[in-house]
Amino acid sequence: MISSPCSTSAAGRKKQRTYFRSPPESKWRSGSQQLIYGRRLFDALRAARSGGGRSAISSRDIKNAADSALALTAQAQTRWSRALLFGCCSRRKVLLKAAGKIRRRRPPRPARKFGGNASPEPTPMLKGKKVTDRLCVLSRIVPGCQKLSAPCLLEEAADYVAALELQVKTMRALADALCASSLSSPSRESAPSTAGACDEFAS
Amino acid sequence: MALSSGAGSGNSGTYTPEITETLRFEEEIQSLMGVNLIPPGFECSPPVNAGSSSFTALLGLQPNQAVELLHELDPAPSPAIAAGASFRPFGCSPTFPSNASLIERATRLSVFATADGSPEGSSAIPSNSEGDHSPYPKSEPPDSDSKPRRPAKRKDADKSSKAKSLTKKGKCFPGDDDGDSFANLDADKLPYVHVRARRGQATDSHSLAERARREKINARMKLLQELVPGCSKISGTALVLDEIINHVQSLQRQVEILSMRLAAVNPRIDFTGLDNLFTAECGRAAAAGPGPGWTDGVIRRNQQQHHHYEHQQPIWHVDHQQQQQQQETAGWERDETPLHHHVFISGSSSGSPPGTSLFGYDSAASAALPLSSQLKSEI
Repeated sequence: MISSPCSTSAAGRKKQRTYFRSPPESKWRSGSQQLIYGRRLFDALRAARSGGGRSAISSRDIKNAADSALALTAQAQTRWSRALLFGCCSRRKVLLKAAGKIRRRRPPRPARKFGGNASPEPTPMLKGKKVTDRLCVLSRIVPGCQKLSAPCLLEEAADYVAALELQVKTMRALADALCASSLSSPSRESAPSTAGACDEFAS
Repeated sequence: MALSSGAGSGNSGTYTPEITETLRFEEEIQSLMGVNLIPPGFECSPPVNAGSSSFTALLGLQPNQAVELLHELDPAPSPAIAAGASFRPFGCSPTFPSNASLIERATRLSVFATADGSPEGSSAIPSNSEGDHSPYPKSEPPDSDSKPRRPAKRKDADKSSKAKSLTKKGKCFPGDDDGDSFANLDADKLPYVHVRARRGQATDSHSLAERARREKINARMKLLQELVPGCSKISGTALVLDEIINHVQSLQRQVEILSMRLAAVNPRIDFTGLDNLFTAECGRAAAAGPGPGWTDGVIRRNQQQHHHYEHQQPIWHVDHQQQQQQQETAGWERDETPLHHHVFISGSSSGSPPGTSLFGYDSAASAALPLSSQLKSEI
Protein backbone atom coordinates (compact mmCIF):
# COMPACT_ATOMS: atom_id res chain seq x y z
CA MET A 1 0.00 0.00 0.00
CA ILE A 2 1.67 3.14 -1.11
CA SER A 3 0.01 6.26 0.01
CA SER A 4 1.68 9.23 -1.46
CA PRO A 5 0.16 12.56 -0.69
CA CYS A 6 -1.36 14.24 -3.70
CA SER A 7 1.18 13.02 -6.17
CA THR A 8 0.64 13.06 -9.84
CA SER A 9 3.14 11.56 -12.15
CA ALA A 10 4.15 13.22 -15.33
CA ALA A 11 2.64 12.14 -18.59
CA GLY A 12 5.44 9.96 -19.71
CA ARG A 13 5.59 7.92 -16.60
CA LYS A 14 2.02 6.86 -16.33
CA LYS A 15 2.70 3.25 -17.02
CA GLN A 16 5.83 2.74 -15.07
CA ARG A 17 4.45 2.54 -11.59
CA THR A 18 1.16 1.50 -10.21
CA TYR A 19 -0.04 4.41 -8.21
CA PHE A 20 -2.29 3.18 -5.52
CA ARG A 21 -3.54 5.11 -2.58
CA SER A 22 -5.70 3.14 -0.24
CA PRO A 23 -8.54 4.98 1.46
CA PRO A 24 -7.86 5.48 5.14
CA GLU A 25 -10.87 3.55 6.30
CA SER A 26 -9.97 0.27 4.76
CA LYS A 27 -6.42 0.64 5.91
CA TRP A 28 -7.05 1.45 9.50
CA ARG A 29 -10.19 -0.38 10.26
CA SER A 30 -9.07 -3.86 9.42
CA GLY A 31 -8.88 -6.15 12.39
CA SER A 32 -5.36 -7.12 11.59
CA GLN A 33 -4.26 -3.52 11.93
CA GLN A 34 -5.76 -3.36 15.34
CA LEU A 35 -3.96 -6.50 16.38
CA ILE A 36 -0.71 -5.24 14.99
CA TYR A 37 -1.07 -1.96 16.74
CA GLY A 38 -2.18 -3.58 19.95
CA ARG A 39 0.80 -5.81 19.95
CA ARG A 40 3.11 -2.93 19.23
CA LEU A 41 1.57 -0.84 21.92
CA PHE A 42 1.90 -3.61 24.37
CA ASP A 43 5.53 -4.10 23.55
CA ALA A 44 6.15 -0.41 23.81
CA LEU A 45 4.48 -0.26 27.18
CA ARG A 46 6.52 -3.14 28.42
CA ALA A 47 9.69 -1.60 27.11
CA ALA A 48 8.83 1.64 28.83
CA ARG A 49 8.07 -0.28 31.97
CA SER A 50 11.30 -2.18 32.10
CA GLY A 51 13.24 0.86 31.01
CA GLY A 52 11.82 2.93 33.80
CA GLY A 53 12.57 0.29 36.37
CA ARG A 54 10.82 1.03 39.57
CA SER A 55 10.05 4.64 38.87
CA ALA A 56 6.54 5.67 38.19
CA ILE A 57 5.66 5.81 34.54
CA SER A 58 4.26 9.14 33.56
CA SER A 59 1.30 9.40 31.32
CA ARG A 60 3.28 11.44 28.87
CA ASP A 61 5.69 8.57 28.33
CA ILE A 62 2.83 6.29 27.65
CA LYS A 63 1.29 8.75 25.26
CA ASN A 64 4.55 9.11 23.41
CA ALA A 65 4.98 5.39 23.27
CA ALA A 66 1.46 4.95 21.97
CA ASP A 67 1.95 7.61 19.33
CA SER A 68 5.23 6.13 18.22
CA ALA A 69 3.65 2.73 17.98
CA LEU A 70 0.85 4.21 15.92
CA ALA A 71 3.27 5.93 13.61
CA LEU A 72 5.18 2.71 13.19
CA THR A 73 2.02 0.89 12.30
CA ALA A 74 1.42 3.52 9.67
CA GLN A 75 4.77 2.46 8.24
CA ALA A 76 5.88 6.05 8.14
CA GLN A 77 4.24 6.66 4.85
CA THR A 78 2.39 9.74 5.87
CA ARG A 79 3.75 13.01 6.97
CA TRP A 80 2.18 12.93 10.40
CA SER A 81 3.62 9.52 11.13
CA ARG A 82 7.07 10.66 10.19
CA ALA A 83 6.70 13.77 12.28
CA LEU A 84 5.62 11.65 15.24
CA LEU A 85 8.50 9.27 14.88
CA PHE A 86 11.21 11.78 14.28
CA GLY A 87 9.79 14.65 16.22
CA CYS A 88 11.80 13.83 19.29
CA CYS A 89 15.06 13.59 17.47
CA SER A 90 17.34 16.57 17.50
CA ARG A 91 18.15 16.43 13.83
CA ARG A 92 14.59 16.04 12.86
CA LYS A 93 14.66 18.01 9.69
CA VAL A 94 17.41 15.90 8.24
CA LEU A 95 15.65 12.74 9.27
CA LEU A 96 12.35 13.85 7.88
CA LYS A 97 13.89 14.72 4.59
CA ALA A 98 15.77 11.47 4.51
CA ALA A 99 12.63 9.53 5.19
CA GLY A 100 10.90 11.40 2.45
CA LYS A 101 13.67 10.69 0.01
CA ILE A 102 13.79 7.05 0.84
CA ARG A 103 10.13 6.68 0.31
CA ARG A 104 9.96 8.58 -2.89
CA ARG A 105 11.26 6.46 -5.68
CA ARG A 106 10.72 8.72 -8.58
CA PRO A 107 12.63 11.87 -9.36
CA PRO A 108 11.15 15.13 -8.18
CA ARG A 109 8.30 16.38 -10.22
CA PRO A 110 9.17 18.65 -13.09
CA ALA A 111 8.09 22.22 -12.82
CA ARG A 112 4.50 22.52 -13.71
CA LYS A 113 2.29 25.45 -14.30
CA PHE A 114 -0.79 24.06 -12.71
CA GLY A 115 0.64 21.42 -10.50
CA GLY A 116 -0.82 21.27 -7.02
CA ASN A 117 -0.75 24.45 -5.09
CA ALA A 118 2.01 24.01 -2.58
CA SER A 119 1.65 27.32 -0.84
CA PRO A 120 0.65 27.31 2.80
CA GLU A 121 -2.69 28.84 2.16
CA PRO A 122 -4.94 26.96 -0.16
CA THR A 123 -6.17 29.59 -2.53
CA PRO A 124 -7.71 32.23 -0.36
CA MET A 125 -9.29 33.55 -3.49
CA LEU A 126 -11.35 30.47 -4.00
CA LYS A 127 -12.24 29.74 -0.42
CA GLY A 128 -13.39 32.14 2.19
CA LYS A 129 -11.39 33.43 5.05
CA LYS A 130 -13.17 31.08 7.44
CA VAL A 131 -12.14 28.03 5.55
CA THR A 132 -8.57 29.20 5.38
CA ASP A 133 -8.53 29.75 9.11
CA ARG A 134 -9.93 26.32 9.74
CA LEU A 135 -7.34 24.79 7.49
CA CYS A 136 -4.62 26.60 9.40
CA VAL A 137 -5.96 25.28 12.68
CA LEU A 138 -6.15 21.80 11.24
CA SER A 139 -2.59 22.02 10.04
CA ARG A 140 -1.53 22.88 13.55
CA ILE A 141 -3.42 20.00 15.07
CA VAL A 142 -2.24 17.30 12.75
CA PRO A 143 1.45 16.81 13.47
CA GLY A 144 3.86 17.60 10.74
CA CYS A 145 1.40 19.26 8.45
CA GLN A 146 2.47 22.83 8.55
CA LYS A 147 2.80 24.46 5.18
CA LEU A 148 0.90 21.87 3.31
CA SER A 149 -1.48 22.43 0.49
CA ALA A 150 -5.18 21.86 0.98
CA PRO A 151 -5.65 18.51 -0.70
CA CYS A 152 -2.55 17.04 0.93
CA LEU A 153 -3.60 18.42 4.26
CA LEU A 154 -7.03 16.93 3.97
CA GLU A 155 -5.63 13.60 3.01
CA GLU A 156 -3.24 13.59 5.93
CA ALA A 157 -6.08 14.59 8.21
CA ALA A 158 -8.23 11.72 7.00
CA ASP A 159 -5.46 9.24 7.63
CA TYR A 160 -4.75 10.78 11.01
CA VAL A 161 -8.37 10.62 12.09
CA ALA A 162 -8.61 6.96 11.14
CA ALA A 163 -5.38 6.20 12.96
CA LEU A 164 -6.52 8.07 16.06
CA GLU A 165 -9.73 6.11 16.16
CA LEU A 166 -7.77 2.91 16.05
CA GLN A 167 -5.49 4.15 18.77
CA VAL A 168 -8.34 5.11 21.07
CA LYS A 169 -10.10 1.82 20.55
CA THR A 170 -7.01 -0.22 21.22
CA MET A 171 -5.88 1.75 24.23
CA ARG A 172 -9.32 1.61 25.75
CA ALA A 173 -9.45 -2.14 25.26
CA LEU A 174 -6.01 -2.55 26.75
CA ALA A 175 -6.76 -0.36 29.71
CA ASP A 176 -10.01 -2.18 30.36
CA ALA A 177 -8.30 -5.53 30.17
CA LEU A 178 -5.51 -4.50 32.48
CA CYS A 179 -7.90 -2.95 34.94
CA ALA A 180 -10.16 -5.94 34.98
CA SER A 181 -7.32 -8.37 35.36
CA SER A 182 -5.87 -6.37 38.17
CA LEU A 183 -9.26 -6.32 39.81
CA SER A 184 -9.53 -10.05 39.81
CA SER A 185 -6.19 -10.54 41.51
CA PRO A 186 -6.18 -12.66 44.66
CA SER A 187 -4.99 -9.81 46.84
CA ARG A 188 -8.39 -8.71 47.95
CA GLU A 189 -7.24 -6.11 50.43
CA SER A 190 -5.87 -3.88 47.74
CA ALA A 191 -8.64 -4.59 45.32
CA PRO A 192 -11.15 -2.04 46.56
CA SER A 193 -8.70 0.87 46.41
CA THR A 194 -7.42 -0.01 42.99
CA ALA A 195 -10.91 -0.71 41.87
CA GLY A 196 -11.71 2.80 42.90
CA ALA A 197 -8.78 4.16 40.94
CA CYS A 198 -9.74 2.23 37.87
CA ASP A 199 -13.33 3.26 38.05
CA GLU A 200 -12.37 6.87 38.26
CA PHE A 201 -10.62 6.67 34.96
CA ALA A 202 -13.29 4.54 33.49
CA SER A 203 -15.85 7.28 33.88
CA MET B 1 -7.25 -22.57 -48.85
CA ALA B 2 -9.82 -23.99 -51.23
CA LEU B 3 -12.91 -21.98 -50.73
CA SER B 4 -16.07 -22.07 -52.65
CA SER B 5 -15.61 -18.88 -54.47
CA GLY B 6 -19.16 -18.88 -55.59
CA ALA B 7 -20.44 -18.97 -52.13
CA GLY B 8 -17.76 -16.62 -51.09
CA SER B 9 -18.53 -14.10 -53.73
CA GLY B 10 -22.19 -14.48 -53.12
CA ASN B 11 -21.68 -13.83 -49.51
CA SER B 12 -19.19 -11.18 -50.10
CA GLY B 13 -21.80 -9.24 -51.91
CA THR B 14 -23.67 -8.98 -48.68
CA TYR B 15 -20.82 -8.67 -46.28
CA THR B 16 -18.22 -6.70 -48.08
CA PRO B 17 -19.22 -3.30 -46.81
CA GLU B 18 -19.28 -4.60 -43.28
CA ILE B 19 -15.98 -6.28 -43.62
CA THR B 20 -14.41 -3.23 -45.10
CA GLU B 21 -15.79 -1.17 -42.28
CA THR B 22 -14.39 -3.65 -39.88
CA LEU B 23 -11.05 -3.54 -41.54
CA ARG B 24 -11.00 0.21 -41.51
CA PHE B 25 -12.05 0.14 -37.89
CA GLU B 26 -9.27 -2.22 -37.02
CA GLU B 27 -6.76 -0.20 -38.90
CA GLU B 28 -7.75 2.94 -37.18
CA ILE B 29 -7.79 1.29 -33.83
CA GLN B 30 -4.33 0.15 -34.45
CA SER B 31 -3.15 3.47 -35.68
CA LEU B 32 -4.70 5.27 -32.79
CA MET B 33 -3.64 2.95 -30.08
CA GLY B 34 -0.29 2.18 -31.48
CA VAL B 35 1.29 -1.15 -31.16
CA ASN B 36 3.29 -0.17 -28.13
CA LEU B 37 0.17 0.64 -26.24
CA ILE B 38 -0.88 -2.92 -26.02
CA PRO B 39 -0.44 -3.57 -22.37
CA PRO B 40 1.92 -6.35 -21.60
CA GLY B 41 -0.53 -8.01 -19.30
CA PHE B 42 -3.20 -8.24 -21.87
CA GLU B 43 -3.44 -11.93 -22.19
CA CYS B 44 -6.33 -12.27 -24.47
CA SER B 45 -4.63 -10.60 -27.38
CA PRO B 46 -2.57 -12.83 -29.56
CA PRO B 47 0.83 -11.51 -30.46
CA VAL B 48 0.78 -8.87 -33.07
CA ASN B 49 3.35 -10.36 -35.33
CA ALA B 50 1.51 -13.64 -35.63
CA GLY B 51 0.05 -12.62 -38.90
CA SER B 52 -1.47 -15.76 -40.11
CA SER B 53 -2.82 -16.93 -36.82
CA SER B 54 -4.70 -13.74 -36.26
CA PHE B 55 -7.09 -14.68 -38.92
CA THR B 56 -8.50 -17.07 -36.45
CA ALA B 57 -9.31 -14.09 -34.33
CA LEU B 58 -11.62 -12.96 -37.00
CA LEU B 59 -13.08 -16.39 -36.92
CA GLY B 60 -14.68 -15.43 -33.69
CA LEU B 61 -16.24 -12.62 -35.52
CA GLN B 62 -17.61 -14.41 -38.45
CA PRO B 63 -16.97 -18.10 -38.70
CA ASN B 64 -16.55 -18.89 -42.32
CA GLN B 65 -17.16 -15.92 -44.45
CA ALA B 66 -14.65 -13.69 -42.83
CA VAL B 67 -11.79 -15.92 -43.64
CA GLU B 68 -12.87 -16.24 -47.21
CA LEU B 69 -13.44 -12.59 -47.56
CA LEU B 70 -10.20 -11.63 -46.00
CA HIS B 71 -8.29 -13.87 -48.21
CA GLU B 72 -10.24 -12.59 -51.11
CA LEU B 73 -10.19 -8.96 -50.40
CA ASP B 74 -6.70 -8.00 -49.72
CA PRO B 75 -3.67 -9.64 -48.28
CA ALA B 76 -2.14 -6.23 -47.79
CA PRO B 77 -4.14 -5.12 -44.82
CA SER B 78 -3.55 -8.44 -43.19
CA PRO B 79 -0.92 -7.07 -40.84
CA ALA B 80 -3.32 -4.34 -40.02
CA ILE B 81 -6.02 -6.84 -39.50
CA ALA B 82 -3.66 -8.90 -37.46
CA ALA B 83 -2.84 -5.96 -35.29
CA GLY B 84 -6.37 -4.80 -35.12
CA ALA B 85 -7.81 -8.18 -34.55
CA SER B 86 -5.36 -8.77 -31.81
CA PHE B 87 -7.41 -6.45 -29.72
CA ARG B 88 -10.32 -8.70 -29.91
CA PRO B 89 -10.20 -11.49 -27.39
CA PHE B 90 -11.22 -14.92 -28.34
CA GLY B 91 -13.97 -15.02 -25.88
CA CYS B 92 -16.03 -12.61 -27.91
CA SER B 93 -19.40 -13.66 -28.98
CA PRO B 94 -19.43 -14.19 -32.67
CA THR B 95 -22.40 -11.97 -33.27
CA PHE B 96 -21.65 -9.73 -36.10
CA PRO B 97 -22.95 -6.26 -35.60
CA SER B 98 -25.36 -4.87 -38.03
CA ASN B 99 -24.41 -2.85 -40.98
CA ALA B 100 -25.63 0.47 -39.78
CA SER B 101 -23.95 0.27 -36.43
CA LEU B 102 -20.63 -0.57 -38.02
CA ILE B 103 -20.78 2.33 -40.36
CA GLU B 104 -21.74 4.61 -37.56
CA ARG B 105 -18.89 3.38 -35.49
CA ALA B 106 -16.48 3.73 -38.30
CA THR B 107 -17.52 7.28 -38.96
CA ARG B 108 -17.13 8.09 -35.34
CA LEU B 109 -13.79 6.49 -35.33
CA SER B 110 -12.68 8.45 -38.32
CA VAL B 111 -13.78 11.57 -36.53
CA PHE B 112 -11.64 10.63 -33.61
CA ALA B 113 -8.77 9.88 -35.84
CA THR B 114 -8.50 13.57 -36.43
CA ALA B 115 -8.09 14.26 -32.78
CA ASP B 116 -4.80 13.79 -31.03
CA GLY B 117 -3.66 10.26 -30.74
CA SER B 118 -5.63 9.23 -27.79
CA PRO B 119 -6.32 5.72 -26.76
CA GLU B 120 -9.19 6.95 -24.77
CA GLY B 121 -10.92 8.04 -27.89
CA SER B 122 -10.95 4.60 -29.29
CA SER B 123 -11.77 3.04 -26.01
CA ALA B 124 -14.59 5.48 -25.54
CA ILE B 125 -16.25 4.48 -28.71
CA PRO B 126 -16.88 0.86 -28.07
CA SER B 127 -17.87 1.31 -24.52
CA ASN B 128 -20.54 3.65 -25.65
CA SER B 129 -23.74 2.61 -24.15
CA GLU B 130 -25.43 1.26 -27.17
CA GLY B 131 -26.99 -2.09 -27.12
CA ASP B 132 -25.77 -3.67 -30.26
CA HIS B 133 -22.13 -2.99 -29.80
CA SER B 134 -21.76 -6.20 -27.99
CA PRO B 135 -18.44 -7.53 -29.22
CA TYR B 136 -16.69 -4.25 -28.98
CA PRO B 137 -17.44 -3.39 -25.40
CA LYS B 138 -16.26 -6.82 -24.52
CA SER B 139 -13.02 -6.30 -26.27
CA GLU B 140 -12.36 -2.80 -25.18
CA PRO B 141 -13.09 -3.00 -21.47
CA PRO B 142 -10.31 -5.49 -20.89
CA ASP B 143 -8.19 -3.10 -22.78
CA SER B 144 -9.31 -0.13 -20.87
CA ASP B 145 -9.27 -1.93 -17.61
CA SER B 146 -5.67 -2.69 -18.00
CA LYS B 147 -5.12 0.93 -18.73
CA PRO B 148 -5.92 3.26 -15.94
CA ARG B 149 -8.59 5.09 -17.81
CA ARG B 150 -12.28 5.06 -17.53
CA PRO B 151 -14.48 5.04 -20.59
CA ALA B 152 -16.66 8.02 -20.76
CA LYS B 153 -19.55 9.16 -22.79
CA ARG B 154 -18.55 11.08 -25.77
CA LYS B 155 -20.01 14.40 -26.61
CA ASP B 156 -19.52 15.97 -29.96
CA ALA B 157 -19.33 19.43 -28.57
CA ASP B 158 -16.44 18.57 -26.36
CA LYS B 159 -14.12 17.02 -28.86
CA SER B 160 -12.03 20.10 -29.18
CA SER B 161 -11.84 20.58 -25.47
CA LYS B 162 -10.96 16.98 -25.04
CA ALA B 163 -8.22 17.31 -27.55
CA LYS B 164 -6.95 20.29 -25.69
CA SER B 165 -7.19 18.69 -22.32
CA LEU B 166 -5.54 15.54 -23.47
CA THR B 167 -2.51 17.41 -24.51
CA LYS B 168 -2.12 18.77 -21.05
CA LYS B 169 0.21 17.22 -18.59
CA GLY B 170 -1.34 14.80 -16.26
CA LYS B 171 -3.22 15.61 -13.19
CA CYS B 172 -5.61 13.83 -10.97
CA PHE B 173 -9.16 14.45 -11.80
CA PRO B 174 -11.61 12.91 -9.42
CA GLY B 175 -14.68 13.55 -11.44
CA ASP B 176 -18.00 13.75 -9.78
CA ASP B 177 -21.16 12.02 -10.62
CA ASP B 178 -23.20 14.70 -12.21
CA GLY B 179 -25.50 13.80 -14.97
CA ASP B 180 -23.44 14.81 -17.92
CA SER B 181 -20.04 14.58 -16.38
CA PHE B 182 -17.84 11.58 -16.36
CA ALA B 183 -17.79 9.49 -13.29
CA ASN B 184 -14.42 8.37 -12.26
CA LEU B 185 -14.80 6.78 -8.92
CA ASP B 186 -11.33 5.52 -8.44
CA ALA B 187 -9.58 8.53 -9.79
CA ASP B 188 -7.63 8.84 -6.62
CA LYS B 189 -5.78 5.73 -7.56
CA LEU B 190 -4.85 6.72 -11.05
CA PRO B 191 -1.71 8.47 -12.12
CA TYR B 192 -3.74 10.89 -14.11
CA VAL B 193 -7.02 11.00 -15.85
CA HIS B 194 -7.95 12.92 -18.86
CA VAL B 195 -9.89 15.89 -17.84
CA ARG B 196 -13.05 16.18 -19.81
CA ALA B 197 -14.83 19.44 -20.10
CA ARG B 198 -18.53 19.37 -19.60
CA ARG B 199 -21.08 20.99 -21.75
CA GLY B 200 -21.22 24.72 -21.49
CA GLN B 201 -18.08 25.07 -19.43
CA ALA B 202 -15.01 27.00 -20.25
CA THR B 203 -12.40 24.89 -21.81
CA ASP B 204 -9.28 26.92 -21.54
CA SER B 205 -6.44 25.39 -19.69
CA HIS B 206 -6.63 27.66 -16.68
CA SER B 207 -10.16 26.86 -15.79
CA LEU B 208 -9.57 23.22 -16.44
CA ALA B 209 -6.73 23.20 -13.99
CA GLU B 210 -8.80 25.12 -11.51
CA ARG B 211 -11.62 22.71 -11.85
CA ALA B 212 -9.36 19.71 -11.49
CA ARG B 213 -7.89 21.12 -8.33
CA ARG B 214 -11.28 21.94 -6.90
CA GLU B 215 -12.51 18.45 -7.65
CA LYS B 216 -9.52 17.00 -5.90
CA ILE B 217 -10.15 19.07 -2.82
CA ASN B 218 -13.83 18.24 -2.83
CA ALA B 219 -13.09 14.57 -3.07
CA ARG B 220 -10.81 14.73 -0.05
CA MET B 221 -13.40 16.70 1.86
CA LYS B 222 -15.99 14.09 1.10
CA LEU B 223 -13.66 11.40 2.34
CA LEU B 224 -13.15 13.27 5.58
CA GLN B 225 -16.86 13.80 5.94
CA GLU B 226 -17.45 10.12 5.74
CA LEU B 227 -14.78 9.47 8.29
CA VAL B 228 -16.01 11.88 10.91
CA PRO B 229 -19.37 10.86 12.27
CA GLY B 230 -22.15 13.34 11.85
CA CYS B 231 -20.48 15.37 9.18
CA SER B 232 -22.48 14.07 6.29
CA LYS B 233 -25.48 16.14 7.20
CA ILE B 234 -23.57 19.35 7.52
CA SER B 235 -23.25 21.43 4.44
CA GLY B 236 -20.64 24.04 4.00
CA THR B 237 -16.95 23.62 4.10
CA ALA B 238 -16.26 25.78 7.12
CA LEU B 239 -18.73 23.96 9.35
CA VAL B 240 -17.50 20.59 8.22
CA LEU B 241 -13.96 21.62 8.98
CA ASP B 242 -15.13 22.78 12.38
CA GLU B 243 -16.55 19.37 13.07
CA ILE B 244 -13.41 17.69 11.90
CA ILE B 245 -11.26 19.82 14.12
CA ASN B 246 -13.46 19.13 17.11
CA HIS B 247 -13.39 15.46 16.41
CA VAL B 248 -9.62 15.36 16.15
CA GLN B 249 -9.24 17.33 19.36
CA SER B 250 -11.61 15.06 21.20
CA LEU B 251 -9.75 12.01 19.97
CA GLN B 252 -6.48 13.45 21.14
CA ARG B 253 -7.96 14.22 24.53
CA GLN B 254 -9.25 10.67 24.80
CA VAL B 255 -5.79 9.39 24.02
CA GLU B 256 -4.39 11.49 26.81
CA ILE B 257 -6.93 10.23 29.31
CA LEU B 258 -6.37 6.65 28.30
CA SER B 259 -2.65 7.06 28.63
CA MET B 260 -3.17 8.35 32.16
CA ARG B 261 -5.26 5.31 32.88
CA LEU B 262 -2.63 3.03 31.53
CA ALA B 263 0.01 4.77 33.56
CA ALA B 264 -2.06 4.16 36.68
CA VAL B 265 -2.70 0.55 35.90
CA ASN B 266 0.79 -0.13 34.68
CA PRO B 267 2.86 -0.77 37.79
CA ARG B 268 0.44 -3.34 39.05
CA ILE B 269 0.43 -5.39 35.95
CA ASP B 270 2.89 -8.03 35.09
CA PHE B 271 3.47 -8.01 31.39
CA THR B 272 4.94 -11.44 31.24
CA GLY B 273 1.65 -12.79 32.42
CA LEU B 274 -0.23 -11.07 29.68
CA ASP B 275 2.12 -12.04 26.90
CA ASN B 276 0.62 -15.45 26.60
CA LEU B 277 -2.77 -13.87 26.36
CA PHE B 278 -1.64 -11.79 23.46
CA THR B 279 -0.10 -14.64 21.57
CA ALA B 280 -3.11 -16.82 22.07
CA GLU B 281 -5.47 -14.09 21.06
CA CYS B 282 -3.43 -13.16 18.04
CA GLY B 283 -3.28 -16.73 16.94
CA ARG B 284 -6.91 -17.38 17.45
CA ALA B 285 -8.67 -14.22 16.54
CA ALA B 286 -6.53 -12.93 13.75
CA ALA B 287 -9.38 -12.30 11.41
CA ALA B 288 -12.11 -11.29 13.72
CA GLY B 289 -12.28 -7.77 15.00
CA PRO B 290 -10.79 -8.24 18.36
CA GLY B 291 -12.15 -5.22 20.19
CA PRO B 292 -14.66 -6.46 22.70
CA GLY B 293 -13.91 -10.14 22.27
CA TRP B 294 -10.30 -9.55 22.95
CA THR B 295 -10.83 -7.94 26.29
CA ASP B 296 -13.32 -10.59 27.30
CA GLY B 297 -10.81 -13.28 26.46
CA VAL B 298 -8.16 -11.50 28.42
CA ILE B 299 -10.35 -11.09 31.44
CA ARG B 300 -11.62 -14.63 31.31
CA ARG B 301 -8.20 -16.07 31.03
CA ASN B 302 -6.87 -14.04 33.88
CA GLN B 303 -9.74 -15.05 36.06
CA GLN B 304 -9.19 -18.64 35.12
CA GLN B 305 -5.60 -18.43 36.18
CA HIS B 306 -6.37 -16.70 39.40
CA HIS B 307 -9.15 -18.99 40.46
CA HIS B 308 -7.18 -22.05 39.63
CA TYR B 309 -4.26 -20.86 41.59
CA GLU B 310 -6.36 -19.89 44.56
CA HIS B 311 -8.09 -23.19 44.61
CA GLN B 312 -4.92 -25.17 44.60
CA GLN B 313 -2.44 -23.37 46.77
CA PRO B 314 -3.90 -20.79 49.02
CA ILE B 315 -1.03 -20.86 51.48
CA TRP B 316 1.94 -20.94 49.20
CA HIS B 317 1.04 -17.51 48.19
CA VAL B 318 2.45 -16.06 51.39
CA ASP B 319 5.49 -18.32 51.67
CA HIS B 320 6.60 -18.06 48.15
CA GLN B 321 6.41 -14.36 48.18
CA GLN B 322 9.49 -14.00 50.29
CA GLN B 323 11.35 -16.84 48.67
CA GLN B 324 10.81 -15.86 45.12
CA GLN B 325 11.09 -12.16 45.43
CA GLN B 326 14.53 -12.07 43.88
CA GLN B 327 13.63 -14.57 41.26
CA GLU B 328 10.70 -12.59 40.18
CA THR B 329 12.58 -9.33 39.99
CA ALA B 330 15.09 -11.05 37.81
CA GLY B 331 12.18 -12.39 35.81
CA TRP B 332 10.92 -8.91 35.19
CA GLU B 333 14.19 -7.71 33.81
CA ARG B 334 14.56 -10.39 31.23
CA ASP B 335 11.41 -10.68 29.30
CA GLU B 336 12.36 -13.35 26.87
CA THR B 337 12.50 -16.54 28.90
CA PRO B 338 9.20 -16.22 30.72
CA LEU B 339 7.70 -15.53 27.38
CA HIS B 340 8.65 -18.92 26.09
CA HIS B 341 7.13 -20.55 29.10
CA HIS B 342 3.92 -18.68 28.73
CA VAL B 343 3.53 -19.50 25.10
CA PHE B 344 3.23 -23.12 25.98
CA ILE B 345 0.83 -22.56 28.77
CA SER B 346 -1.65 -20.63 26.74
CA GLY B 347 -4.86 -22.18 27.92
CA SER B 348 -4.08 -24.12 31.03
CA SER B 349 -2.87 -22.65 34.22
CA SER B 350 -0.67 -24.80 36.32
CA GLY B 351 2.59 -24.87 38.21
CA SER B 352 4.99 -22.17 38.96
CA PRO B 353 5.08 -19.92 35.93
CA PRO B 354 1.62 -18.59 36.58
CA GLY B 355 2.69 -18.41 40.14
CA THR B 356 5.44 -15.99 39.32
CA SER B 357 3.04 -13.90 37.36
CA LEU B 358 0.65 -13.75 40.24
CA PHE B 359 3.38 -12.84 42.61
CA GLY B 360 3.92 -9.86 40.47
CA TYR B 361 0.49 -8.67 41.41
CA ASP B 362 1.04 -9.13 45.08
CA SER B 363 4.41 -7.52 45.38
CA ALA B 364 3.48 -4.64 43.20
CA ALA B 365 0.22 -4.08 44.98
CA SER B 366 1.88 -2.35 47.85
CA ALA B 367 3.93 -0.22 45.50
CA ALA B 368 0.85 0.69 43.57
CA LEU B 369 -1.09 1.88 46.54
CA PRO B 370 0.83 5.11 47.09
CA LEU B 371 0.74 5.74 43.37
CA SER B 372 -3.00 5.39 43.12
CA SER B 373 -3.49 7.53 46.16
CA GLN B 374 -1.27 10.14 44.58
CA LEU B 375 -3.35 10.09 41.47
CA LYS B 376 -6.51 10.33 43.50
CA SER B 377 -5.24 13.38 45.23
CA GLU B 378 -4.29 14.97 41.95
CA ILE B 379 -7.68 14.47 40.52
